[in-house]
Amino acid sequence: MNKILSLLLAAALSTSAFADDDKYEMKHHYGGQMKHADMNHDHGAEHDHGANHEHGSRDHGAMAMNAATITHTDEISAALANGGAPVVVDVLGVVCDFCATAMNKIFSKRDEVAAIYVDLDKKTLSLVITDGSDLSDKQIEKLAKQAGYRIAAIRRDSEAMGG
Amino acid sequence: MRRAILRIAIASLAMLTCSLVQARPVSYTGGWTLIEVANRASTAGLVHYSPTHNFSVGLRHEWQREDDVKLTAIQPTLLVKRWFGREYQGNFYLTGGLGTATDESPNNLGSDTGTFVGVMADWETRTLFVSYEARFLEQGTLGNHSMHAARFGWAPYAGDTGELHTWLMLEIDRRGHFDDKTSVTPLLRFFKGPALLELGYNLTDPSPLVNFAYRF
Repeated sequence: MNKILSLLLAAALSTSAFADDDKYEMKHHYGGQMKHADMNHDHGAEHDHGANHEHGSRDHGAMAMNAATITHTDEISAALANGGAPVVVDVLGVVCDFCATAMNKIFSKRDEVAAIYVDLDKKTLSLVITDGSDLSDKQIEKLAKQAGYRIAAIRRDSEAMGG
Repeated sequence: MRRAILRIAIASLAMLTCSLVQARPVSYTGGWTLIEVANRASTAGLVHYSPTHNFSVGLRHEWQREDDVKLTAIQPTLLVKRWFGREYQGNFYLTGGLGTATDESPNNLGSDTGTFVGVMADWETRTLFVSYEARFLEQGTLGNHSMHAARFGWAPYAGDTGELHTWLMLEIDRRGHFDDKTSVTPLLRFFKGPALLELGYNLTDPSPLVNFAYRF
């Protein structure tokens, strides 16, 4: 009986500890493109990119803004130069390289995706959509779910570029 | 078959009377994972496939070295709940197995049905990790075992995508059928891309720990 009570107590504590998550999950009812104003987080407060710095060959760009912009890798820059459309997705729960591998595998299978990069520092998925094709927010959300993750916001075009 | 189902039901009930758990035993949709585990108790290999993001099924082969018993089983795992946050992820899994256990020792006790159930739970940020797992194994005449293990981890730096991630971890396990029922294993976890390697040494029951996982 004591063990059962312990289990119930542990379950109750874990539910309580993660209560904020359920609130977070409620924020994903967007129809079309989600604007940054719809997001309820402060990127800058958690990860200060105000100072200029680089992670390898990647340039985090205009990080003075709260919303993270696209991460520039060689592949992404080349895809943008070819007329691709930038998309930045804020992803929840991205804490390790297995997360990045999962999203790389799932999104790379899509013909619409010309380039992809999962940025653990920014907790974002940067995509470049092939010129002339489209990947809707719903599709992105579905693909993220297949990878085992959940998205918080999607920014496209100038918002994704920080301009 | 009825006997096996009954065993799983009994083991499940037993499991519910115990505490909670760890790990990443479910991959992305369509993903395969290769896992090797070697610790003071056993050496095991598991290959699993995830048809969905919250379920995997695999083939497990395990050598319980102390008893010289080998278990081959089908192992399904269900991701019951994943908690998402901007800075963390938490998971709760249920797992089980059904297969055949064979005595390879000079006693030659033959084979019996092997069933197990387990729970795993973990919570991690990019620099903190805590997990718990428990497993209850029934092998009829070849012995029944239970195991609990908890882990605490800390990463001295937050590695970015594709970089080498390094973790310092401490595992405390309890195995009722061992002389040293509770043991402590400090270990290093290295993580890079789809590969994970853990190297440790059990201080209580001197033996190495070597775990490896590859996701593809």
